Amino acid sequence: MTRVHQFHPVLAPGDAMSNHVFALQRRIREWGHESLAYAIEAKPGTTDVLPYRRLFRDVRPDDLLLVHFSMGNEVFTQLAKIRARKVLVYHNVTPAEFFRGINAHAATYARLGRTQLTELAPAFELAIGVSAFNERELIAAGYARTAYVPILIDWSSYELAPDDAVKARWEHVKPLLLFVGRISPHKRQDDLIRMLAYYRACIDPNARLVLVGGYRDQPQYHARLVELVKALRLDAAVTFAGAVTPAELVAYFRSASAFVSLSEHEGFGVPLLEAMRFDVPVVAYDAAAVGETTGGAAVLLEDRDLARAAEAVGLVLERRDLREALIAAGRRRIADFDPDKVAARTREVLGL
Amino acid sequence: MNNDPAELDQAALQAEIRERVQRKRANGAYSDDVRAALELPLPGGRALFSDELGDPLPALQDTLAEQVTYDAVSHRRLVGTPITFGRRVVIGLVRWWIAAITDRQERINQLVARALVDLRDAPSPQFDERLARLEREWRRWREDEVAATLESRFFAARFSGDESVIRRQSEPFVDLFRGRTRVLDLGSGRGTFLELLRDNGIGGYGVDLDPKMTEDVRARDLEAYTADGIAHVQSLADASLDGLYVRHVAEHVLPGELIALLRDCRRVLKQGSPLVFITPNPATLTVGAHTFWLDPSHRRPIPPELFHFYLEVEGFERVETRTSEPSEERLREDVPDGPIRENVKLLNKTLFGDRDYAIVGWTPGP
Repeated sequence: MTRVHQFHPVLAPGDAMSNHVFALQRRIREWGHESLAYAIEAKPGTTDVLPYRRLFRDVRPDDLLLVHFSMGNEVFTQLAKIRARKVLVYHNVTPAEFFRGINAHAATYARLGRTQLTELAPAFELAIGVSAFNERELIAAGYARTAYVPILIDWSSYELAPDDAVKARWEHVKPLLLFVGRISPHKRQDDLIRMLAYYRACIDPNARLVLVGGYRDQPQYHARLVELVKALRLDAAVTFAGAVTPAELVAYFRSASAFVSLSEHEGFGVPLLEAMRFDVPVVAYDAAAVGETTGGAAVLLEDRDLARAAEAVGLVLERRDLREALIAAGRRRIADFDPDKVAARTREVLGL
Repeated sequence: MNNDPAELDQAALQAEIRERVQRKRANGAYSDDVRAALELPLPGGRALFSDELGDPLPALQDTLAEQVTYDAVSHRRLVGTPITFGRRVVIGLVRWWIAAITDRQERINQLVARALVDLRDAPSPQFDERLARLEREWRRWREDEVAATLESRFFAARFSGDESVIRRQSEPFVDLFRGRTRVLDLGSGRGTFLELLRDNGIGGYGVDLDPKMTEDVRARDLEAYTADGIAHVQSLADASLDGLYVRHVAEHVLPGELIALLRDCRRVLKQGSPLVFITPNPATLTVGAHTFWLDPSHRRPIPPELFHFYLEVEGFERVETRTSEPSEERLREDVPDGPIRENVKLLNKTLFGDRDYAIVGWTPGP
C-alpha cells in the first residue's frame, strides 16, 4: 500500500481542479492505497481536506506526493524540499499579461507561477501535463520526465436533477448562449458581451448570454464587464450567474442553445467537455489547449473576429444537420475521456 | 484519444461563416453601429494588457506617460491613523510599492520587446511603395505580353477559326477516345469537340477560361467549367481521367508551364489513356514567321520535334506527330520533271506545308 498525498493551494467545491483532486482521491482509495488531500485554503463545502502544514509531518520518503500546480505560491518552494516521490500535476498557469494593469495580485502570482515552474523542475521525479499542450510547456520548462494524462472527470457526478429555479427561469429562453468559467480577463467574457451585441443586431434580437462563474477573484474585471454591458445597453440580455451549485450548473447546461468560448488561455477546458456531455454544441476560439480538448467536436474559430464568432454560433443554431453532427461528435469525444480509461492511465503513469 | 477530423469540415464551415458576415455587411445589418459595439473599449480604465500587446506602440506611449501612485492613507475609523503612519514608515520596504514599479517596468519591457519584434517584421512604407510599384509593373508586363487590353470581340470576329474547320480538324481524333468515359477537353472553347464526343457516346467535359464560352456550352447540355486549365489539371486527383484533348493551348503557355502541365497530365490520366495536343506548325515557314503571330496572346511556337521529345521524356509512349490543315496557297507544281520541279516541291513543303500538327501520346499500361 502506498500513501498518496495531494496538494493544491485552494480546494473548493465545483472547481474543475478540485473535482480532479477528489475524483483522483476516490480512485486511489479504490486501488487500496491511502489518499489524503491538503490545501492552504479549503473553501466551505469541501470535506476531508487537511491543512498543508501537516504535509511536513505526515509525508514519508516512500510516499507519493502529487503537487497540483496552477498558480504561483511560496508554499511550493517549501514542498519541493519534502523527501518523497514527488510528482507535479500541471494544470497550466495563466500568463501574467492577462492580469497586468487590472489585478496586480493575480499578475504577481501568475508571474511567480511561471518562475516556480522552472525552478521546481529538479525536485520532481515526474511531471504530468493534463493536456499535450501542458506537457509541451513542462518539457520547455526543463522537466526530465513528463507524461500526458487528461483530467479525471467523474461524469456520474453530473447525473443529478437540474435545479428547479434555474430550470424554470431559463429552459424556455431561446437562443441561450452559455459560457462557464470564472470571470477573468483571459477568459475574455468582455468579447462574449461584445459578440452578443452583434448577435442581437444581426442574427436574433432575442439572444441571451449567461456567464456562469465566480467573480470574487477578479472584482475589477467584473466591475468593468458590468459597465460594458451597460454601455452596450445589454442589461436585460447578459446575466452574471456567479458561482453555481452542481444542480444549477446542470440546469444551465440543459437550458443552453450553444456553448461559446472566446477564452484566450485554457490549460485543458473542462466546461467544453461538460457542454458536450449535455449535448450542447460548442463554438470556441482555438487558443492554447482548446483545439486539443475539443478534438474536432466543436466549430473552432481561427481568429478573434467577433462578427465571425457570432455567425458561427448562428450557423450552428440554424443548421440542424451541423448541430446534430456536433452533438454526435461531442458524445464520441466524451467517450475519449472515459474516467476508467483515464484512471487506468493515471495508475500506470504513477506506478500504483 | 482519437480525433476524427473527417467528421466536420472546418474549412468549409469557416468559408460559410465568412460568407454569412459578408451577407450581413451587404444587407446593412452589420452597420457601423454594430462595428462600434464590437470595438467598444472596456470601460473603467486602460485596455486589457493582453489586447495592448496586439498594438504595442500606442500602448507603450500611454504606459510611459502613466503615473505610478500608491495611496498610503487609511480611512478606517480609529485605527486609520496608526495604519497610515505604519505604512508611511515602511513605505520604502513594502513590497507592493516595489511591485508597482517593477510591474510598470515589466510592462514597458514587454511592450518594447513586442514593438521591436513587430518593427522587425513590419515592412517599411518605402518598401511597401517599391513593392507595389514592382507588382504594378509586373502585372502590366504580363498583360502587355499577351495584349490583354485588346478588344477581344473584334479580334475574334476577324481572326478566329471557323467552327467547321475546328470540327473537321477534330473529327480524326475522335476514334482515339472511343469507349472512354471521362475525357477532358482543355480549352474547350465553343464545345465543338465535346459535341463530337457526345455524338460518339464518349463521356467527357470541358474547361475554358472564358465564362461566356462555357455558359454557351452548358446551355447546349454539355458539361463545362470556367477555370484556368493548368490550375484545373493540377487540382485533379491521380488517375481521374481516361483521355485528354488539348487544342491550341500549348502555344499560349511558357515552356516551363507546358512541361509542368505534361507532368500533371501524366499523373491524372489512367493507364493506357490517350493524350492529344494540337498546336500551330512552325515547321511551315509561313506559319512560324507569319500566321502564328496573328494572335498576340501566343507566347512562342513549338517545333514538332521538340514537342515530340517533351512527351517522350515525360514518360508517354507510342508518341506520334500528325500534321493537318494544308496551306491553301501553294506554288504550282505543274512544271516539267527535273530540278525545277524538285525545287518547287521543296519550297512548297517548307513554305506552304501543313499549318497545324497534333502530337499524340499514350500513358503506359494496358
